[in-house]
Amino acid sequence: MDFEWDAEHIAFRDELRAFIGEWRTPELLAEYAATYGGSGARIRKFHDAIGERGWMTLCWPVESGGQGKSMLYNFIFIEEMEYWGMPYGNLTFTSVAPALNAFGSEAQKKEWLPKIYSGELTFALGYSEPNAGTDLASLRTRADRDGDHWVINGQKIWTSLADVSTHLWLAVRTNPDAAKHAGISIIVVPTDTPGVTIRPLHTMYGGHTNETFYDDVRVPIENCVGGIDQGWAIVMHALNHERVALAATGGLARIYDQLVDHLRTHRPERLANPVVRLRLAELKLELHEHRALALRNAWILAQGGTPIVEASMAKISATELRTQLANAAMDLLGRDGGLSAESAERAPFAGKAEFNFRLSPIFRFGGGTNEIQRDIIAAAGLGLPR
Amino acid sequence: MNLELSETQTLLQRTVRDFLREEVPFERVRSCERENQWDAALWNAIAEQGWLGIAFSENLGGAGGSFVDLGLWVEEFAQRAAIVPVLEVSTCGRILQDFADAEESRRWIEPILAGLALPVPAILESDDDFESIRAEVVDGVLTGAKTYVDYAQFATHHLVAARSPEGIGLWLVDARNAGVQVEPLRSIGRTPVGSVRYAGVPAQAVGDHSAYRALLRMARALAAVQCLGSMQTALNQTTAYAKLRKQFGKPIGSFQAVRHHCANMAIRIESVRGLCYSALSSLDSPQPSDERIDSAKASASLAAPEVTMLAHQIHGGNGVIEENDLYFFTLRAKERSLAWGSSVECLDNIAQGVAAPTDWL
Ligand SMILES: Cc1cc2nc3c(=O)[nH]c(=O)nc-3n(C[C@H](O)[C@H](O)[C@H](O)COP(=O)(O)OP(=O)(O)OC[C@H]3O[C@@H](n4cnc5c(N)ncnc54)[C@H](O)[C@@H]3O)c2cc1C
Repeated sequence: MDFEWDAEHIAFRDELRAFIGEWRTPELLAEYAATYGGSGARIRKFHDAIGERGWMTLCWPVESGGQGKSMLYNFIFIEEMEYWGMPYGNLTFTSVAPALNAFGSEAQKKEWLPKIYSGELTFALGYSEPNAGTDLASLRTRADRDGDHWVINGQKIWTSLADVSTHLWLAVRTNPDAAKHAGISIIVVPTDTPGVTIRPLHTMYGGHTNETFYDDVRVPIENCVGGIDQGWAIVMHALNHERVALAATGGLARIYDQLVDHLRTHRPERLANPVVRLRLAELKLELHEHRALALRNAWILAQGGTPIVEASMAKISATELRTQLANAAMDLLGRDGGLSAESAERAPFAGKAEFNFRLSPIFRFGGGTNEIQRDIIAAAGLGLPR
Repeated sequence: MNLELSETQTLLQRTVRDFLREEVPFERVRSCERENQWDAALWNAIAEQGWLGIAFSENLGGAGGSFVDLGLWVEEFAQRAAIVPVLEVSTCGRILQDFADAEESRRWIEPILAGLALPVPAILESDDDFESIRAEVVDGVLTGAKTYVDYAQFATHHLVAARSPEGIGLWLVDARNAGVQVEPLRSIGRTPVGSVRYAGVPAQAVGDHSAYRALLRMARALAAVQCLGSMQTALNQTTAYAKLRKQFGKPIGSFQAVRHHCANMAIRIESVRGLCYSALSSLDSPQPSDERIDSAKASASLAAPEVTMLAHQIHGGNGVIEENDLYFFTLRAKERSLAWGSSVECLDNIAQGVAAPTDWL
């Protein structure tokens, strides 16, 4: 056993840092902050630059046009991008593209993948419904066949970015008579199809997500991905991919570093206080603990395996630590720490502490709630009876 | 000892609760937040009820209530997320009553009870430390800068901690004086707060360092109560939601993981409640206990984010949309956990005394 990185890994990391150093402008970061995971002109240019270097497809097999690198490179890539807060990808890249690659027909891949990489196609994920959250398989939005078209009727909720995306990646019921997991399909719907209505839902962190309504929405039969009634496996695959990004250490480590940096430069007397030092030491320890879980995940992926229990552990630990870090940052900065971006002149690191606190709940129940992750660990990992 | 609320206290609690439920629809809270306003109409209504005198002595026209009474009252406002300076005006009023001479007291308390005078404390400066006060009074004139002055922009008077040759004391200034300049800040609690500059403003002496300590104690205990009120509503809304929301054909409140979260929230709230009211009762005694007050605030401050985040966990997506009322309590609780001494500050105070023997039983 050896926990040290190889020289090539370190070289790749250095290359990434130099690249990020070049691209990390205040304008790009501002666009990223304003779009809450969406896209914009600067972000698209940045994606092009990533694409030119082959980093979008770093770990894909060579025969699919990738570089065939170990998944450890993907891990290094995500961690660096997360640490520096760069808009390296969004769910279109990290969730839809891999799913298309794994489940799409040759024609679908040929038509959609290049446009995804050029930024021409962007997706919103339409899984959740008002009454189908954790119990996603009970979803009721239905698609009925009418000749060579699907006719879709129903309602989705939390369809984030639907208002700025070109397409919807919808999970719909295509077989009402089958068992609930067996009658679901994935259908791609252009957002501008007649019958699609999008309404914003404003949130406590400042951004918005959407409710989407489907009223006799017609799309061609070929828009079904991965076979009729075969959608559940695709949804699960996509959620696994989402979990990997949720479990990164980089973004968390950055909050910690910014906090320490601020205290060092603005509040050195606080850094000398034993209560403050103990709180920081505990956070640091938790970051190390989390990193151990994240690394384990990456290692299993790099060996060609699929982390299940390990992914759940890392997802829980990352998302709970995110709340704790934001919370502790405020506690250690006192009322300064509670200031919002609107009072940026005074607010330590532009109000990020209180923003992260407001944002943090969604990660703990998004991507499979932490309660369900704990069930997975107990059942799949520890063999406890249901 | 008597751990029960008296009949009068229960009546007070119920009356205020019913009144606020009627008077303060959450839509009104939302619009105050959006416009950076306070609920002036509610303040008038409270004054009409005669509630502003709750903790003032009867010979000044008050109700002669205790700090426990005041705490019960303040908690109700926190439970409703109402945007009114109950903590600020009550603490300033009490300091004016307890430290100024009888004649002066009368002059100040009357307009407070009528809802016309709104004094608020102005303590912290740029380094956010209760002990390093640089604002200065020379020959009755105040110069300096304060920050995190809650409701600064709507107050009629500021009760300012400032230095003079006699040390740190409290001084009252007219907030409408041209030398007083307020710059609003936006913070996580979404309640009005500002930074203030005092450029040579006439200031009237109110009390010495012991008055200052008394103010900090009262405000710290009441801020803990405000955390408590927010947590209580977060729990109430969560259990109500867990009974209604169904997944897998059952109310989510029937899943053990959810039940345990709710139980953990209730445990935290119950112990915070005990500490808060024990701190207030110590304020009613001849010997207020700093350790009890610091413990109440440390405990409330640490519990507030834990409890409200569990509330969010159980609400799932529905808890983060602005249309849902839950976020009021999450954000207010966090803001109040930072105000008047964060957990770090209060734990530090407790740490100073760890070597001394404790009377546990
Ligand atoms: C800002 C935001 C963006 C989102 N973006 C998207 C998106 O783009 N596309 C999309 O499809 N969805 C999206 N979601 C939805 C998200 O995935 C759901 O919120 C999540 O799946 C949880 O569902 P729910 O909110 O309905 O909570 P519920 O399922 O109602 O869960 C509530 C609570 O009950 C618990 N619970 C439920 N069942 C059990 C059980 N059997 N045992 C124990 N505990 C249980 C949960 O763990 C949770 O604590 C988004 C949500 C938000 C808030």
